[in-house]
Amino acid sequence: MTLLTSPLADVLRSRPGTRQELNQMSVLTQVPDPKPAETLGLADLSYLTRFGVKGPQSASWLSAQSIPIPEQPNTWAALPEGGLIARLGRSEFLIEDGPDSQTVPRLAAACNSPPAQVYPVLRQDAAIALCGQATQNLLRQTCSFNFQSLNLTEHPVILTTMVGVTVTVIPQPKSHHPIYRIWCDNTFAPYLWQTLAEITTELGGTIIGTQDFIPYTGQMP
Amino acid sequence: MSQRLDPLPTEWIERDRLVPFSFEGSRYTGYAGDTVSSALWAAGQRVLVRSFKYHRPRGLLSFANHDVNTLMQADSQLSVRADVTPVTAGLNLAAVNTWGGVSRDRASLLNALSAFLPVGFYYKTFHGRFFPFWERTIRKLGGLSAIDPTAPRLRTPKQYDFCDVLVVGAGPSGLAAAIAAAEAGAEVVLVDENARAGGSGSYQLGGDLDQAKQTAELIQMAAAQPRIRQHLQTEAAGYYADGWVPLVEPERMTKLRAKAVIVASGAFEQPAVFHNNDLPGVMLASAAQRLIYRYAVKPMRRAVVLVGNSDGYRAALDLAANGVEVMAVVDLRAVQVSPEAHAIRAQGIPIFSQYGIYAAETNPAQDGVCAAVICPLSDTGEPRLDQRQTINCDGIVVSVGWAPAANLLYQTGTQMRFEERVEQFVPDRLPEGVFACGRVNGVYQFDKKLIDGRRAGLEAAAYLGFAQSVPSPVPAAESESPSHPWPVVSHPKGKNFVDFDEDLQLKDFYHAAQEGFDNIELLKRYTTVGMGPSQGKHSNMNALRILANINNKSPQVVGTTTARPFFHPVPFSHLAGRGFTPERHTPLYSRHLALSAEMVKAGLWQRPEFYRQSGFSRADCIRQEALNVRQRVGLIDVSSLGKLELRGPDAAEFLERLYTGRYQSLKSGRTRYALMLDESGVVMDDGVIARLGPEHFYFTTTTSGSSRIYREISRLALQWRFNCGIVNLTGARAAINLAGPRSQQVLSQLTSADLSAEAFPYLAVREAEVAGIPAILMRVGFVGEWGYEIHVPALSAPALWDALMQAGAADGIRPFGLQAQRLLRLEKGHVIVGLDTDGLTTPAEANLSWAVKSDKPFFLGQRSLAIVGQRSQSKTLVGFTLPASFTGQPPEECNLVIDQGEIAGRVTSIAFSPSLERYIGLAYVPPAQSADGTSLAIRNSDGAMIPATVSSTPCYDPDNRRQKESFLTEAV
Repeated sequence: MTLLTSPLADVLRSRPGTRQELNQMSVLTQVPDPKPAETLGLADLSYLTRFGVKGPQSASWLSAQSIPIPEQPNTWAALPEGGLIARLGRSEFLIEDGPDSQTVPRLAAACNSPPAQVYPVLRQDAAIALCGQATQNLLRQTCSFNFQSLNLTEHPVILTTMVGVTVTVIPQPKSHHPIYRIWCDNTFAPYLWQTLAEITTELGGTIIGTQDFIPYTGQMP
Repeated sequence: MSQRLDPLPTEWIERDRLVPFSFEGSRYTGYAGDTVSSALWAAGQRVLVRSFKYHRPRGLLSFANHDVNTLMQADSQLSVRADVTPVTAGLNLAAVNTWGGVSRDRASLLNALSAFLPVGFYYKTFHGRFFPFWERTIRKLGGLSAIDPTAPRLRTPKQYDFCDVLVVGAGPSGLAAAIAAAEAGAEVVLVDENARAGGSGSYQLGGDLDQAKQTAELIQMAAAQPRIRQHLQTEAAGYYADGWVPLVEPERMTKLRAKAVIVASGAFEQPAVFHNNDLPGVMLASAAQRLIYRYAVKPMRRAVVLVGNSDGYRAALDLAANGVEVMAVVDLRAVQVSPEAHAIRAQGIPIFSQYGIYAAETNPAQDGVCAAVICPLSDTGEPRLDQRQTINCDGIVVSVGWAPAANLLYQTGTQMRFEERVEQFVPDRLPEGVFACGRVNGVYQFDKKLIDGRRAGLEAAAYLGFAQSVPSPVPAAESESPSHPWPVVSHPKGKNFVDFDEDLQLKDFYHAAQEGFDNIELLKRYTTVGMGPSQGKHSNMNALRILANINNKSPQVVGTTTARPFFHPVPFSHLAGRGFTPERHTPLYSRHLALSAEMVKAGLWQRPEFYRQSGFSRADCIRQEALNVRQRVGLIDVSSLGKLELRGPDAAEFLERLYTGRYQSLKSGRTRYALMLDESGVVMDDGVIARLGPEHFYFTTTTSGSSRIYREISRLALQWRFNCGIVNLTGARAAINLAGPRSQQVLSQLTSADLSAEAFPYLAVREAEVAGIPAILMRVGFVGEWGYEIHVPALSAPALWDALMQAGAADGIRPFGLQAQRLLRLEKGHVIVGLDTDGLTTPAEANLSWAVKSDKPFFLGQRSLAIVGQRSQSKTLVGFTLPASFTGQPPEECNLVIDQGEIAGRVTSIAFSPSLERYIGLAYVPPAQSADGTSLAIRNSDGAMIPATVSSTPCYDPDNRRQKESFLTEAV
């Protein structure tokens, strides 16, 4: 049953392509011509489930749940079963499942009655992914942060603004060009997406589905 | 093409590609690579524009995009800078600032009237009752282009960029600096305003092409260096903190952040001041040299060269080497130290030492120069007219000095000093990470510029840690000053221009000083020197010398004016860029559009104002929506409300300190109105606090206050060190208010929760599933009906909306928008913070004292409120009604309440109540006029006085009967 709606459903509605229901959400999985994504691709990954937690005891609670904790603030780590955990400061975390992992439901259930100084954070973000050789060009038009200065082996998490919207960005090193994962408040998502999509088109790229995105990642994060 | 030279190895034009274009209705042909100015000059067109004030004919001056002599309009494209704009096929150009064309400008009459239009005359003339007339006249006369409002929008997306070292200027020193820094390992961005790199190294040659070859080698080295990125046709137009520099390119602006900046921006060549120094044909030496070597255009046939430095002799040699007959070299100096003087004499060209040009004579066609009147100068620079002589020529080339292009350096905070050795300001103390080289650093000779550039490049690299040790050979001092200290010759007839943008003459400066404007900043504002589009590039230095001369002070003491960014004109389209304007959509945005909602901006949010019904007016739609809530059931998207969650053992105490009410005593499962004040006791925000558990609260803020309140609460949580954690859920949760006598009936179809009044009373909160979605339900009555505020995870909101619409179909459910909500709450007398309050309103004034528990130990604003409470209250918020028979134009929000001709208050809200069938509203009035039944007079927007009567609130359901289940049963 489709209970959830992607924050980007409205702006993707007219997009031709194949749709599937994933995690109770209708998801654009494939588009007819994904080839321009080699130049620049834009995908909606909002269907991936997310869980947030903050508070002085959040790190130790997550450890107790067998979640690997990134040691430094503003860094991320891959989860053993798929997905990732991002440390958004000293004591706040974002956990996102991969397409096949079930870490988030497990953590949400465990946090139904949270212990002292552990505060669950409802995450209803829009999740966007960028791939292709022109990603730097797009980022330079939309964000004042110098992504090229990053050492991606250190797994940085960037909290910045993009076209005036607060975003969390994780660059992930892949075979040819890094891919960029972007999360933002869902209420800003249509504006952010439309702006990114306009620039993507100008730069010769395209919007792609979640399946189209897989070749750029090797596997989903 | 009569002025074209034979092909030169340095030229930029492609002779096999002809480019047709038009100027002032006449057809011309240039070569690909030509600029508009070079193509017109090659074709013999001498008058390119008319001057701003006196409409005098003007030709080339700097030929470097540094003056406004060649500002044109190309169809709808404004401010085309002909000196640097490439000719393109079909380009249709017109001169600006003319009445009847550049050749027959009727406004040139102003030139004859110039004696009556001295600087500052408008301050003394255009005021008083005739000001509107003068304003219209001046607006008609002024302007440098005509805006075409139908012009298509240009796409000018901005971008960010980053580098280790930014080198501004790709002349010899800039190239040397960039190569040195890049070879040391730095990532370098090299910018230059010209279409190609090389700067003066490619055209100030003294007739010797060897220097051009050396420069070409440097250009090749820079192009081959992978760590150098070149941005040509690009101005570094300003310097901001942290190394941010806007790079203005033809199509866009790039905001570049550099870790170090090397300013190698060179110098602006300066004009000499003599009678008729603005005639077409009088040009700077560097302009003539650029015409020759870049575009193979002969600047004139016969030239008189006015010099004050060696550059002038080299220019004379360049002219002579390229077919220009040099009639004379007129040297302002008594002693010639320039080695090139020998070469000039060897060619039989006469040199007049300690001579100046007294005047340029106009040719019979009035479109150029036909002779130069020269005469010896006294030791004080006065012309000795008894020995004057006239030399026929069709061009005067001026090379008397330079002003450093130091605008960026000033903006970085560089301290400059006036160096008499080179007669210019040079950097005295550079800020950390800023370096200077070349002419802007007082270094002029070609070889020395290379040394200076390399020094700056290595120093910048070392500053960034790329080079361990820095050999810093400083170039030897210049053998002579490149600038003359007084290139000015007075003339009784004036027209010896100092500022070509504003037609400022030498005498204007003396007049300004006589009137007391004898400080450089005052002089600038009185005369407007340097305030035109050129921003003083060719006038500030001479103005400074003139003021120093008037005051008998040194240039160092006189000082310079402030050089603010942007120091070079930037198109508005570049500043606008792509135009990012963030906006927020609730998860139900598309649902609203599908229901024909008219959206309205509420802060960053897009919200439905009302839902349009075919065949009904806006007012009818709003009234229908309101009546549907009163009689059946409606739903409104309130997702834009701020939504916060607070957990922890200190959560209740924290809330008690934040808000005016009591929350430690609030039972789990209950909600309470929450009012927040600022430190001065003014109403800042309100909302509802729900207690979900002993240490767990969920609460709302106003739509406009959500971000601000979250920031403030987070700050106070840190400051007060309470053991609780706050989470902002504004975006993560959506909310729908389901209201009306049938709301219980509708909701009961979607939840298993007990909705009876006993189990779920007014102001209670419950957590339950609605349509399979986990939700927080609050029994609230903002619109005055039985209702539920349903808060769900944002991604589930569309499913909830659809379920409610489906479940309520049989009960006549309809969405209602902001306007209906405002009307409904007005009937109920509920205040909207920010609409019915302002930045000075206290709770007592807004009738919210009931929400303030002053006997609490502490809450924000409590102390101020106690002080304010000791004063007499000046206003109070009351309800009012208009007579039921009123049919005219009703008052609007902010219309004034008038008492005995004086302002007594203002309307904050007003709407027509379909339930009460009359206009109702809220207004601030003096306490003496707040009693029920008091007559008020409200002045309408059109000036009419509207009678109104104070009436108690709420005027709808004052006994709250509609929150009782008995009424609900009866209504359903």
